[in-house]
Amino acid sequence: MAGVPLKRSGLYTAMAYLTLIVISIFCLLPFVWMALASVDSNAKLFLKWPDSITFDHYIKVFAEENGVRWFANSLFTVLSATILVMIISGLGGYALSRSKAWWKQPFLYAILLIRVLPSTALLVPLYKILLTANNGMGNMLRPLVGENYRSFMQIFGFIDGYLGLIVVLATGQLPLALWIMKVFFDGVPKDYEEAAILDGATLVQRIRRVLIPLALPGLAAAGLFTFMSAWGDFLLPLILLSSPELQTLPIGLFRAFLRVNEIDYGLLAALATIYLIPAVIAFSFARRFLVQTFSGGVKG
Amino acid sequence: MNRFVAGGLAAIAMSLLAGTAHAQTLRIALHGQAGIDAFTPTAQRIEETLGVDVEIVEYPAPDKDYMTKLLTELAAGNGPDLFSIPSAAEVADMVAAGYLAPVGAELAAWEPYKDFVDVARDLAVSPDGETYVMPYILGIQQIYFRRDLLEKAGISTEQPKSWADLLARAKEIKEKTGAYGLLFPAGTSWGGGAFDEGFSHLLIGSSAPQIVTEDGKFDLSSKGVLDVFQFYKDLIDADLMPVDPLLGPEPWVIPKYEMFPSGELAATTCGSWCYIFDWGRESRNPIPNVTEVVGTWADPGQESGEFVLANLGAPWAVNAKSANLELAKKALLETGSIENQIETATRIGNIPSSNAVQSDPRFQALTELVPIQAAANNGTYLKQATGMSVVSEGVARATEALLRKETDAAGAQQILIDHVRQTLGDEALK
Amino acid sequence: MALDAFQKRRERQTLLLLLPALIPLVILTIYPALYAIYLSMTNEALTGLAAAKPRFVGAANYFRLFSDGRFWNALFVTFVFVVGSAIIGQFVLGFISAVALRRKVIGSPIFGAAILLPNAAPEVVAGFMWISMLAGGDHATLSKIMMALGLPWTDWLQTFPLFMVVMVNTWRGIGTAMILLTAGLSAVPSEVYEAARMDGANPRQIFTRITLPLMAPTIFLYMLISTVSTISVFGLVYALTRGGPGNKTEVISVYIYNQSFTAFQIGYGAAGAVVALLVSLTLGIAYVRSLKVEV
Repeated sequence: MAGVPLKRSGLYTAMAYLTLIVISIFCLLPFVWMALASVDSNAKLFLKWPDSITFDHYIKVFAEENGVRWFANSLFTVLSATILVMIISGLGGYALSRSKAWWKQPFLYAILLIRVLPSTALLVPLYKILLTANNGMGNMLRPLVGENYRSFMQIFGFIDGYLGLIVVLATGQLPLALWIMKVFFDGVPKDYEEAAILDGATLVQRIRRVLIPLALPGLAAAGLFTFMSAWGDFLLPLILLSSPELQTLPIGLFRAFLRVNEIDYGLLAALATIYLIPAVIAFSFARRFLVQTFSGGVKG
Repeated sequence: MNRFVAGGLAAIAMSLLAGTAHAQTLRIALHGQAGIDAFTPTAQRIEETLGVDVEIVEYPAPDKDYMTKLLTELAAGNGPDLFSIPSAAEVADMVAAGYLAPVGAELAAWEPYKDFVDVARDLAVSPDGETYVMPYILGIQQIYFRRDLLEKAGISTEQPKSWADLLARAKEIKEKTGAYGLLFPAGTSWGGGAFDEGFSHLLIGSSAPQIVTEDGKFDLSSKGVLDVFQFYKDLIDADLMPVDPLLGPEPWVIPKYEMFPSGELAATTCGSWCYIFDWGRESRNPIPNVTEVVGTWADPGQESGEFVLANLGAPWAVNAKSANLELAKKALLETGSIENQIETATRIGNIPSSNAVQSDPRFQALTELVPIQAAANNGTYLKQATGMSVVSEGVARATEALLRKETDAAGAQQILIDHVRQTLGDEALK
Repeated sequence: MALDAFQKRRERQTLLLLLPALIPLVILTIYPALYAIYLSMTNEALTGLAAAKPRFVGAANYFRLFSDGRFWNALFVTFVFVVGSAIIGQFVLGFISAVALRRKVIGSPIFGAAILLPNAAPEVVAGFMWISMLAGGDHATLSKIMMALGLPWTDWLQTFPLFMVVMVNTWRGIGTAMILLTAGLSAVPSEVYEAARMDGANPRQIFTRITLPLMAPTIFLYMLISTVSTISVFGLVYALTRGGPGNKTEVISVYIYNQSFTAFQIGYGAAGAVVALLVSLTLGIAYVRSLKVEV
C-alpha cells in the first residue's frame, strides 16, 4: 500500500461511484416507462404515472392473447437452437483451436464477416432452400404418418415448422459461438489431452472425459450469446412461420400493434416485459461464465 | 445398412405416388386481427358450401411485412390459395408478376356482381383489361369538419367550391378559433396514407386528375401535380395543419384521436370508419353525437366540382399457382357475399361495394355508413398501373420534405420524380 | 515418421469435429450468400414484371448503386453509426464501467446488472422503449427530463436523428463491452500490478503501460466483433426510425431492406449487400493487419 496514498484512492472510488450511477441511470431509464405502462390502466406511449395500478394487461396476455403458447414456442425453439449450437460449436471450436490447417484463419474471418450480410439480404435464397428441404421432408413423411401429416410437418417441416426455425436460428448464431469456443479452447492447456492421447484414449473418450468438463464455462458463454441473440430474432419467425399454433413472442408483440384503432400500450408493455424476462434471467445466470470465458478460461 | 437404404428408397417412391392424394384444404391468408375476426363467419360458409377444410393462415404483421411475406411465398410458389391484398396499389404489380389468377369470367357470370357500384368494378379491372380481384369493399375518404366549432365561430359549413375556398376556410378557422384549420396526411411515417388519404384527394380535382398515361407510364411532371404540392406548401407555411405529430411515429394518433376530438383541429381527411372507430361508438375518445357534431365535405376540385374518391379496400385474389384453383375461385365469390361485406363494414367501417346492402337491416343499423355507401355510386377513382406503390412512397417522401420545410412545391415534385426514376427506371416515366 | 502419421490422423479427427458446423453453415449461410451474389447480377424482383421474367443484367445494378446518392449516404451513415456507437460509445462507456467495477464498490452486482439489462432487451423491445423516450416532442420522456432540469428540449428523432440512433445502440452495447473488457482486465495477473506498484508506478502509468498493452488481444477481439455486428444491426434502427427522417439514419442494412422489401427489388438490394460484405471484409483484414494479432 506504499504506492497509492489513501486519499487518492478514495477520490478514485468516489469517481467510480459517480460514473456507475450515471451509466446505470442511462441504462435503466427506458425500462421505467415499460414497467409503469404495463401496470397502468390507461397506458400511453409516453411516460406518466399510472392512473391506477392493474395487472389486467398481464392477465390479458395469457387469457385472451394465447400468451402461454407464444411463450412456450419461443422458449422451445430458442432453447433447442441453443443446445444445438452448444454441441456443434463445442466440437467445431475445439477442432479450430487445435487444427493447424492453412485455411483456418481465412475460415474464421469468413464466417465472422458473413454476419454483416443482413439477414434481409439472404432471406429470398434461404426461403428457396428451405422450401426444397420442406418438400423433401413432406414427401418422406406423408406415406409414413398418413393422417397426422399436418401435425408432423408442424414439427419436422422446414417452412412453417419447428425444425426449420430451430435450424435457421442455430445457424445464424453459429459463427460467433464457434469463435467463442475456439478462443476458449486456445486458453485450455493441451497437457490434459496430450496425456489422454498418450494413454491411448480414442477421440470419443478424449471428448467425454477431458474436453466436456473443461469446456463447460465456454459452452455456457456460447449458449448464452446464442440464446440472447436468437431470443431477440424477429424477422426469421415472421417469414418462416404462418400457423397460429407456432407463433412466437416477438410476433405476438407485433400483433399487438395491429389493433383497429389505437395501440393498446398497456398490453404491449406487458408483452414486452414478459418477453424480456427470460433474457434477463439468462444473462444474470451466466454472467460469471462470460467473464471466465473471455479471461481465457480455466487457468492451469 | 442396405436394408435401410432400400427402405428409404421405397418410402420416397411411395411418396411420389401418394403425393397428391389427401383431403382438400384451402389455405387462406389475411392480415390484421379485425380482418380475421370479420372473416371467420365467411370461412365457415366456405367450408359448408364447398365441402373443404379452410386453414386461415395468420400473418400477424403490419401491412408492409404482410406483403413481404406474402410476396416471398408467392415468388417461391408456396403461397396461400386465396389471400387479401392490404394495399390495392400492389395489385397491378402482382398481376404483372403472374401471381394472380384471372377471375373476370367467374365474376361476370356471378349474379350478385351486377349490384356492385360501378367504381368498384372499374377499380377491379387491371391495366391489361382483365379482372383479378374481388372488389368487395371500398375505402371512401372525405373531409370531416367540426360543425359545432365552425357554427359557433360563424364560419360557413357549406361545401367548399374550390381549393382556394377550402384554404380560405382553413385560414378563417385558424383566425377565429385558433384551431388548426385542415389536415391532409403527409410524410413517410403515415405510410400509404400520404398518397391514399391525402395527395390523391387533391390530385383527382386538379388540372391533371390522372397520373397514369394510356400506355401505363407515369406523368408526374404535370402542372396538376405541382399545384397539389403547392396546396400542401400553403397549408404548412400558414401553419394551418399540425406538422410536428406527422413527423413522429403513428402520426395519426395525436391529430385524429386527440386534437380533433378536443377541438384543436377543426377539419381533416378521414375514411368512412372515422364516424364509428375514430370518434364514434367504438372509439376510446368518442365525440358525443358524432354524426351531428361532425359534418363532411366532398373533395373540392381545384377550380370547381366535387369528388368522391374511392379506393379498393383490401381486395381478395386467387393464387395463380394454387393447387385447388377452381375451389379457390369459388371461395373468392364467397368473400364477395353481402354477408362478408356487412361483417367487414361492421368490424372495420369500410363501405360495402354492393348496393344490395342498402335493403339489409344489418347494414341499415350502421347508420353512419348508409349515406356514404349511396354516394359511392357517384364515386370516381385514380387509374392504376404497375409501380403505383413506388409513386405512393415517392409522394410520402416529397410531402415529408414539405413538412420539414426543406423544399418548395417544385422541389417536392422533383423528389417524387427522382424517387420513381431511381426505383423504376426512366422507362416508367412519360 | 510415426509421429507424422499420428499428427495427420489427429488433424483428420479434428476436422471431423468441424463437420457438423460446416454443413449448416455451407447450406444456410454460404450458399445463400453466393446466391445473393448471383441475384445481384439480375433484375430479380418480388413483384412486377421482373418477378415473372427476371433477366441477367450483368453489372448494371452496381453501376446504378454507385450513381445512387442514397447508397453513398447509407455508407456514410453506417460509418458514423459504427464509429459512434461501437468504437466510441460502447467501448468507452464499457471500459469506464469495467474499470470502475474493479474497485471495491458497494452494490457492484446491482450496477453490473443495470448496465447489462439493455443487452437483454430484444431489438423490437428496445426500439419500442426508445420511441417512448424520444418521440413526440414535449410528450417524450427525454424532453420531460430536460424540462425538469430546466434545459431546452426538442423533437429528438427529428432534430438529431443520427446522434439518437447512435446513442440507443451505445445503450444496448455497453454491457457486452463491459463484460469483455472486465474479462480482459482480470486476465492480467495481479502479480504484475503488484510488481509495478512496488516500483512506484502511479495508476495512470499502470493503466497505459500495463493494462492497455496486455489487454490488446481482448480489445482487438471486441473491436472486430462489435464492428461487424454493428454493421449488420437492422431491427433497432428499423423500429426506431425506419431510416428516416429523409434518409438521415438509413444505415446499409436498412437501405438493403428498403430496396429489397419496400421497393421489392431483390437484385438491386443484393448488389447493396455484396458491397456491404466487401467493405466489411476489407475492414476485417485491415484490423488483422494493423494489430498483427495471431488467431
